[in-house]
Amino acid sequence: MKRKMTLGQILIQLFLLVWLFFCLFPLYWMFTMSLKDTQEIFGPNSVGLPTKWLWSNYANAWGSGGRVSNYMLNSVIDTFVTLIGTSLLGYMSAYGLLRMRWKGQNAVFTYILMGMMIPMHAALYPLTEILLTLTKTHWALIIPYVAFNIPITILILSGFITNIPYEMEEAACIDGSGIYRTAFTIILPMMVPALITAAIFVFLQVWNELLLASLFTTDTVRTLTVGIKQMSGQYQTDYGSMGAGLVIATLPTLILYMCMSGQVQKSLVAGAVKG
Amino acid sequence: MKRVLSNKWSIMVFVLPTVLFFTYIVIFPIFKTLWYSLLNEIPAKVGDASHFTGLTHYITMFTPGRRNPFPGAVVNSLLYAALSIFVQLPFSMFIALLLADGPRGESFYRNTFFIPVVISSVVVSLLWGRIYKGLLPQLFEAMNWQVPKNGFLGNANTKIWFSFIPSLWQYVGYHMLLMYGALKTIPEDIIEAATVDGASGAKLAFRIQIPMIKPMLKVCLSFSLIGSFKLFDTPWVLLERSNMDLPALSMYVEMFSNHKYSYASAQAIFIVAECLVFTALLNWVFRESDGKPGKELARK
Repeated sequence: MKRKMTLGQILIQLFLLVWLFFCLFPLYWMFTMSLKDTQEIFGPNSVGLPTKWLWSNYANAWGSGGRVSNYMLNSVIDTFVTLIGTSLLGYMSAYGLLRMRWKGQNAVFTYILMGMMIPMHAALYPLTEILLTLTKTHWALIIPYVAFNIPITILILSGFITNIPYEMEEAACIDGSGIYRTAFTIILPMMVPALITAAIFVFLQVWNELLLASLFTTDTVRTLTVGIKQMSGQYQTDYGSMGAGLVIATLPTLILYMCMSGQVQKSLVAGAVKG
Repeated sequence: MKRVLSNKWSIMVFVLPTVLFFTYIVIFPIFKTLWYSLLNEIPAKVGDASHFTGLTHYITMFTPGRRNPFPGAVVNSLLYAALSIFVQLPFSMFIALLLADGPRGESFYRNTFFIPVVISSVVVSLLWGRIYKGLLPQLFEAMNWQVPKNGFLGNANTKIWFSFIPSLWQYVGYHMLLMYGALKTIPEDIIEAATVDGASGAKLAFRIQIPMIKPMLKVCLSFSLIGSFKLFDTPWVLLERSNMDLPALSMYVEMFSNHKYSYASAQAIFIVAECLVFTALLNWVFRESDGKPGKELARK
């Protein structure tokens, strides 16, 4: 039996629906724009569904007219290598800083966490000096992406790694396992959920990054964010293809979010609650 | 066992690569920026003519004048912070309170409201750019309202406001989720007891729920303050290339268009200092509510 809603509940539902509309409308607009031609986008039917579904916009943005396929590949490479870097370096240093025992470990931990409070802006010009010779390669972005995301990775891992009982190491030690084997074959598998949480956070940071990407990439290694920003200038006359570019750039994150929305939300909460 | 975990050599293998890499790419450049900001101009540009000038650039930065856009840029970023704190956060809180109360479709709404957060800010900005150019003028005409003469991003006085809207819109979902998560950790029996005592709706929210999630409010506040000072992506995409109406934009233009490296470095350092000062300020304001719930009661 359905419970009847009170007037208050109906008002709440109405309010939530209105905000739902405001959240989804720009996305709806992007999808329909990607299937229209410029005339229709600026004509009377700018809001409605496309009269003719122009899938050719996608082919145009992906291959011939645009270079989205190229940008996509570059973004995938940069993001993938960055994630390997932050996971590996982040795990190793989290292990050394939080599992092992030595003088000064707290000081080093604080030192790295302080890096989170510093915005990238502050390092911009000296970074150009370091990375200038690399701008024809993917390293010009991967290096700063890894470095700037190490603190948050270590912080997210720290909450998990200190909860693992030391009996694990003791048992491994008695069985004759060395420290590296213990770290990588016994503790590491237990840290996979934490590593995923950190990786999703870093993925969203890196995939969506614009400032460094616009400074440190030359044409062949350009990433999606910079690429579509340039397209918006280049395609002044072809808004449909630009829309298609936007959709293509958004799909990977959208699909990730739809498949694991709970996990993505958890990651972003973990990343925000850092202070 | 203890010996294995304190082995100096393996500690170095685990920690040293990260520390060196992090220091070289993150920490070292910050100090270099600080050093550059104290020179008249960097050696790479002027060679031997480069010399120490102390705080000159910092003074120039805040010397009022028609041709110095930086003070105005700082004011704009503070306006954005105010909008974020007094409009975006209360609105997010309102949604979080509604959702935490468990209406029908709770998790569907929460998941959907969060979608804008995961989308790239470039896509969001370009999308809003189209909305300002294509959709809003049509809407205004249909409503018989006056469309601004050069479009929504064409008026020098108001364009900055329109460039604020996309990122304010985008991060409502983030704040909502943070607050919602905190609200959900309030023990059920506290809410129940308060309800039995006759608190409901606004009273319950202001007397019980909001005070109980103070630590999360601090997170949201520092998130929006620091976000305001660093705000770059959205206005950079929406406004013209030479725009200097926000600190980060100003720094970017001074550095990469005007090639005043030292002056731009001073602006960068100012942005960092602003973030640190406001973080410290927030810590001070919220000093009592950090894990000492009894303290406030004890003082009464």
